[in-house]
Amino acid sequence: MTQPDTDVPDIGTRAAAGEASREQVVDGIYTLLPDVLQRDLAGLSEQTGLKAELGMESTVALELILRLEELLGVEVSVETLDREHLATIGSLAGYVTANLLAEDED
Amino acid sequence: MWRGCTVTALAAVSSYLPDKRVPIEEPAARLGLTEMQVRVFRKYHKQSEVRLDPGGSLADLLRGALAGLEGLRGHERQVRYVLHARTLPGIVPYPVHPIRDLCHEYGLGHAETLAVGQHACASGLLSIDIAGRLLAADGDPDALAVVLAGEKTFTAEAQLVPQTSFLGEGAGACLVRADGDRDRLLAYSVDLRGEFGGDGAQLNPEFQEEYAGCLAAVISAAVERAGARMDQIGVILPHSVNVIAWRRVCRRLAFPLADVVLDNVASCGHVFCADHFINYRTARARGLLQPGRRYVMAAAGGSGGGVFSAMVFQH
Repeated sequence: MTQPDTDVPDIGTRAAAGEASREQVVDGIYTLLPDVLQRDLAGLSEQTGLKAELGMESTVALELILRLEELLGVEVSVETLDREHLATIGSLAGYVTANLLAEDED
Repeated sequence: MWRGCTVTALAAVSSYLPDKRVPIEEPAARLGLTEMQVRVFRKYHKQSEVRLDPGGSLADLLRGALAGLEGLRGHERQVRYVLHARTLPGIVPYPVHPIRDLCHEYGLGHAETLAVGQHACASGLLSIDIAGRLLAADGDPDALAVVLAGEKTFTAEAQLVPQTSFLGEGAGACLVRADGDRDRLLAYSVDLRGEFGGDGAQLNPEFQEEYAGCLAAVISAAVERAGARMDQIGVILPHSVNVIAWRRVCRRLAFPLADVVLDNVASCGHVFCADHFINYRTARARGLLQPGRRYVMAAAGGSGGGVFSAMVFQH
């Protein structure tokens, strides 16, 4: 897996099951995006447009969420996920943080 | 695009699924999908298996549906038209003509045969509409038409709708009358979106973005045209592309996802234009179609631009 140049802590061991802070989610997205989009990325911020700037399609966003779940050890409900949540890194992080499932939920 | 309706009735509906179940990992490996992409299909799209008939022909699939079509036997001479609804324009090598062969086999050699593929995966609904119009124009109240649907997954294009759905083999059929007690077509609405491009519109990001909104809008339009409200619709019989797309459509319609017959997504995949007939049989088996109750068939197609269509029936 391609890793960014920045020093990213081991988020997976830091988060308890069913819990992740917005900061952890944002860091996780920074970590995973280059691999999911299969290219080097620089200058990412919460304002970076996932579709408009990075050309990420909704199915690829699902792959990103799946990888986030594994990285952070969480489960995310995608029941209410819609295109507005995929506008920016910040909006996706907000959605993920607000839609974490408790450990015993499906 | 809006359409008024002739009075069209579905006298009978049948379906056929081959026995062989194949996990989606098999076509995925052939098509070069990554493990992660397959997991997205399993977890979010809720697709696990497709049905295949590896040794069988297209005629074998369609025969399965035709053989189960109640009301056909003994009434073959009344059948004027046999329509094959198809997603893909080329389904068999020239000059093989399985539809004509089947017609001769089933005593339908006298019927006019035609292929309807202009609406891609929504061509099943278009075929019902055309069958009803042809019969109405003829004016013979006893005349019938047969709509067949189902295709083989020979090519890569016929095995996967990129980022959307694995396709499976199976078939469906319906017997159409110009008029009748069941199931009466109350409204048909179609939205043709040529701006989404030509063949392979499903790869157009705009098509993907607008998909749920367009499909929800065309369902709303058909329901309104039928003089009904969404809360008067018993079930939606969908095209079985995946669960996440229908989740988005339902949210826009404020319609319960549980009332969309998605039972076959996981075990059969998207069976081209036959999904509605297969899901109809599932709904019947589950007792979801009640006399007098209205239901919706809805589909989207991504070839020759985007096509979104919905029909409202009364059972």
